[in-house]
Amino acid sequence: MTPVAGSGPTNTARPRGASLRLLSRALFAVVLAALAAVVVRLRGTGGTPRHRGGWRELSAEDFVEPVEE
Amino acid sequence: MRAVLVGLGAVGARCARQLLSSVLIDELVVVVRHRAPAAGVLASIGSPGSVELVELSPGDFGRSLRGAGVVVLAAPGTATFAREAVDQGVPAVSVADATDEVRLLLGLGTEARDRGAAVVAGAGMAPGLSCLLAAAAAEGMDEVNEVHVATLGTGGPACARRHHAALREMVEEWREGAWERKVASSGRELVWFPDLGGADCYRVERADPLLMVEAFPGLRRATTRAAASRRDRLTSWLPMLRPPHPEGTVGALRVEVRGRRGDKAGTVVLGASGRPALVAGTVAALAAEMAASRLLKPGAGGLASLVATPREALAELSRRGVKAEIFEGVGPAPTE
Repeated sequence: MTPVAGSGPTNTARPRGASLRLLSRALFAVVLAALAAVVVRLRGTGGTPRHRGGWRELSAEDFVEPVEE
Repeated sequence: MRAVLVGLGAVGARCARQLLSSVLIDELVVVVRHRAPAAGVLASIGSPGSVELVELSPGDFGRSLRGAGVVVLAAPGTATFAREAVDQGVPAVSVADATDEVRLLLGLGTEARDRGAAVVAGAGMAPGLSCLLAAAAAEGMDEVNEVHVATLGTGGPACARRHHAALREMVEEWREGAWERKVASSGRELVWFPDLGGADCYRVERADPLLMVEAFPGLRRATTRAAASRRDRLTSWLPMLRPPHPEGTVGALRVEVRGRRGDKAGTVVLGASGRPALVAGTVAALAAEMAASRLLKPGAGGLASLVATPREALAELSRRGVKAEIFEGVGPAPTE
């Protein structure tokens, strides 16, 4: 039987190879992003920045003279 | 002397205890919305015979004021009662921290001055202790340029609800002589608090800048921030997801004042730590005693404007257990 144009199932789907390629690229991007995040996370020292000095309770002298750093 | 206290929450109860232990106050009238829970709180405070419990109604409040030496407003939304107090020449002390309530109190300034009474707007931890610390830090300076306030923690349930609302309401900051509107929960800054270490703080709607601008003419910048978690900021636009705790844990306050002395620019950082409700109650009680003794300047304002000797006030707070601290050193060191 001679196939008539438009009567058969049209093949609009992406070829199997192209889908796999897309999937592998997406996976590669995700893995790359995760690796970058891990590197940034491990290289960063985290926590709060270091500082010098500390708090001292105001003494009786401080209440007489103006407080100064 | 008779004192009237409106509200018996976490701050009000602490204030009541302080007032009852004062030699100045021999009678305390406590005005509350609901009598039953307040009776239990008062029983735990003690001093029977010297305390009268009154349920809140406009007529009763006016009657309670007669012959009173001072009124302490320690419940949210009660700043309007200050007008009635001023009309009768009774000094009023409010622990309100919302800008609209504080603005309302500041509006009573002329009438309060005419009647020789003080209206203290913001007599809690911040504003309140923050104003005293800023005034003490400013005493060593010829010119005050900037005041930055930061807090960590909340007191009772009303305070927690205000903190929740303050993270979503528009914020007004003082910059170069004008008010600038900012988005709440923005402007993250790492702040070092006494005893509790570093915490990320964000802009909140609170009256500290308004009171600092009143107290320090020529101020160029005034800001206020509060520590908040990601969850606090993310859920600030929602109703509170669960009822707040009866009382928060230890909190802290940090006040940074920048200015000039002679040709030299300088920065003084003062702070304090403690349970916020306890600190606020103690500050409110001290402000009430000073107002009742006419030791505050007549008029309306924060403690930085009305207290003539902030260091003496801090010394008295220290005797009552609220210890002010000073930061000595420098901020984050450069990365090596």
